[in-house]
Amino acid sequence: MFKILIIEDDKQLIHLLEKHLNKFGFQTQSVDDFAKVRTQFEQYEPHLVLLDVNLPKFDGYYWCRQIRSISICPILFISARDSKMDQVMALENGADDYITKPFDYEIVIAKINSQLRRAYGSYANAHNGRTTTVEGLTLDVERLSLSLDGQEIELSHTEAKIVDELMKKAERVVSRDRLLEKIWDDQAFVDDNTLNVYITRVRKKLASLHIIDALQTIRGQGYRLMPNWRKNE
Amino acid sequence: MKFFLRDQFPLIFIYLIQIIVITSIYWLDGYHNWTISLYAALLSSCLLIIYLLIRYITNRSFYQRLEKPLTSLDDFTNNTHQTPLTEGLQQLLTSQFRHYKTDLHHYKYRLEGHIQFINQWVHQMKTPLSVIHLIIQDEDDSRFTAIGDELDRLKKGLETVLYTARLDSFEHDLYVESLDLETVVRSVTSNQKRLFIRKRIFPSFQFKEDVIVASDEKWLSFVLTQLVTNAIRYTVEENRKLHFHSYKRGIHTVLEIRDEGIGIPQSDIPRVFDAYFTGENGRNFQESTGMGLYLVKQICEKLGHRIEIESIVNEGTMIRLIF
Repeated sequence: MFKILIIEDDKQLIHLLEKHLNKFGFQTQSVDDFAKVRTQFEQYEPHLVLLDVNLPKFDGYYWCRQIRSISICPILFISARDSKMDQVMALENGADDYITKPFDYEIVIAKINSQLRRAYGSYANAHNGRTTTVEGLTLDVERLSLSLDGQEIELSHTEAKIVDELMKKAERVVSRDRLLEKIWDDQAFVDDNTLNVYITRVRKKLASLHIIDALQTIRGQGYRLMPNWRKNE
Repeated sequence: MKFFLRDQFPLIFIYLIQIIVITSIYWLDGYHNWTISLYAALLSSCLLIIYLLIRYITNRSFYQRLEKPLTSLDDFTNNTHQTPLTEGLQQLLTSQFRHYKTDLHHYKYRLEGHIQFINQWVHQMKTPLSVIHLIIQDEDDSRFTAIGDELDRLKKGLETVLYTARLDSFEHDLYVESLDLETVVRSVTSNQKRLFIRKRIFPSFQFKEDVIVASDEKWLSFVLTQLVTNAIRYTVEENRKLHFHSYKRGIHTVLEIRDEGIGIPQSDIPRVFDAYFTGENGRNFQESTGMGLYLVKQICEKLGHRIEIESIVNEGTMIRLIF
């Protein structure tokens, strides 16, 4: 299990980050005495550090240099400052990447994973990709595959994102807006009509796993995945 | 020279009257030898001219300086004082200048402090924003959607404050590089995806391959964000498109952003880039500050990009950025 040290002075932000990171199987600790960051680092021996720039007493750059003098572990900056100069400063002081506030969980997780992969090799054995399971139906987000009772089908990138969101919120309604938001990325975005097409495709793929009528349309609200495939048997 | 003559004109004038007065007194007294009078006048005129010449030569640099306008504040510190008059004036000016400069420094210092405060404040506000953003991220409920929308507005407001404050120190915060225009545009639209989806408006791209422009990524992104959010805000009907089209015009690259919104009345177009100008649409739509397009124009000027705007009411607005 990877250990992550969070050096940040906003309690609420730490709390949310820790909760989310724990969900993804990381062990976390946050710094409580900003005069002794280095000692706490040495005691905890984390695999990765999340570091804020604006801290009481000394700034993040200072602590980054301090940590660098004793360790080569990946350091990710999280800061509200977004100028090029700040990012250059961070990297010059030994950081590996820079995330600006406000940020999404997905970005933090993705960057942490990429740093860990680079620093400690493949993280496959420590952390088996990311899978979501509902009633025996398993989605592997990394491999884009969906399996049920030993049967496995492949999904496209966009289909996987839709299924992922629906499975995470199984039995609850997911709005169309949210699905659109999730599948929109820099290179491709999906409009209303295309989303309908994708939903149809997802239904077909589910059907090929003998899952019928599980993906329900709720008029005016969105879609809902009802895990009803066990009961049908 | 001109200044000197103008300055000494009263003296010359009085002198001429004096000559006439004295000559006429002698004339009326019965002394009718005009050659002697002429000789006396000539002699005293010579004395006057010599006086004027000496006066001019000693004060020449002083008069020359008075004639030449100052080009900058530090211009007048080069002093060449020769006579008591110029020296006195120089001293007066120097002390005045010193007071003026102290005042100026004082205000400059205060302004810088203020800008620094604003910057710091905006950054402090970003942490609570992040927290709220993280809390609502996994929620899909109309209340959280509403909070998310308000959050986006707050974020945009903070950005505007930050960029307005930074505009004055533009040169320190500029990093020009070759940018792939399509990548920049796509990342801007992607950042505004919530807004797009909420209003059911989707972008449409028409890019020639690899359009590279020289610009500063952050400032350009800010400009594009302003234009995109404006375009979305003023498109009332759903299922419209926002068109991005880039092409070459001579040696310049043009980026065209066309919406299918309500358009801008012809009478307002010349003033849309003025600060605080909100126009007719601003009165019908709330939260127009009139700052968005003003900032866009200012930033474009500093980046060296030209901006053109065309609009037809009820058909849409087209903005062109010319790199």
